[in-house]
Amino acid sequence: MYYKFSGFTQRLVGVPASVAYTPQGLKPAVHTELPPLTFETKTASVESQPSPKVWIKNTVPELQKLFQKPDGVPVYLKRGLPDQLLYRTTMALTIGGTIYCLIALFMPRQAKK
Amino acid sequence: MPTQTHTYHIVEQSPWPITGAMSALLMTSGLAVWFHYNSTTLIVTGLLSLLLTMYQWWRDIMREGTFQGHHTLFVQKGLRYGMILFIVSEVFFFIGFFWAFYHSSLSPTPEIGGQWPPTGVFPLDPFEVPLLNTTVLLASGVTVTWAHHSIMEGKRKSALFSLLLTITLGLYFTALQAMEYYEAPFTISDNVYGTTFFVATGFHGLHVIIGSSFLIVCLLRQILHHFTMDHHFGFEAAAWYWHFVDVVWLFLFTSIYWWGT
Repeated sequence: MYYKFSGFTQRLVGVPASVAYTPQGLKPAVHTELPPLTFETKTASVESQPSPKVWIKNTVPELQKLFQKPDGVPVYLKRGLPDQLLYRTTMALTIGGTIYCLIALFMPRQAKK
Repeated sequence: MPTQTHTYHIVEQSPWPITGAMSALLMTSGLAVWFHYNSTTLIVTGLLSLLLTMYQWWRDIMREGTFQGHHTLFVQKGLRYGMILFIVSEVFFFIGFFWAFYHSSLSPTPEIGGQWPPTGVFPLDPFEVPLLNTTVLLASGVTVTWAHHSIMEGKRKSALFSLLLTITLGLYFTALQAMEYYEAPFTISDNVYGTTFFVATGFHGLHVIIGSSFLIVCLLRQILHHFTMDHHFGFEAAAWYWHFVDVVWLFLFTSIYWWGT
């Protein structure tokens, strides 16, 4: 087997011996089919290599999966514990504060009577 | 997520409108309690719950838009109209202060000496720090446009750099204004000049701080890969707001700092 640079895949591909007689770019006199590409030998793909330029991983696709899960949990609690903690703190502050506020407003009123 | 056969965003039940309303109650009552009984408990509670509400409400909007895909082109159109109306209302808010300024300066009353600037008031030189501030804000208008084009062309690094530059210019403006306030030879209680000057420039400064915060959120979202080449309305809204703040400053500079002296 011989190797020829493929303009389509941009790498060397195995070709039958007859191709050696038809140089690159010239139409072969006899129509010869290229053998199917073999992927037995692992070649490093550009996409799979971790790029040093990306310093923060793109977590958007994972988060999209998490937030689109049809589990009936409302959007403000979808992330679990941290959401629960924030939600409960806010609720405790506003409800507790409102009760305290009403007491603070009514106490001076009662004192006058 | 169940299949959706329309482009609308049917919002879920949310606790934030009611917690926001309760925070508003706590803050107003808190102010009254603070003034009358010198206790800051209620106002601090109100402020804290308002900040928590703001954080979670906007966080949920990001989740709905970026993670759940509710911000379709149609929904984005609504967001655009909403932002435009909000900025228009802000324009009218500032028109009120300019009205007060021109009302007082075009026909100065005998009480202030019948002249503008009033007797005894020595205004700031518009061609010192205020002119520098003008160039800083104009430059930040350029860098925010650079950031927009970088995002549209998918140039992540230059988008991050230009956004950071815009925020730095915004913070530099705020620092310069703080310095000007400190150095000013008149105060807010120095007749109608001080009042109109500090209320108008003060509210503008507040808007610069809000705009800077909005841009900082955009920078964080850009770091976290939230913006794509054709879907980044959060950034666009921040850029619109920033340009609005920039234009208000140009009017403040030409009217109050320059013409008014």
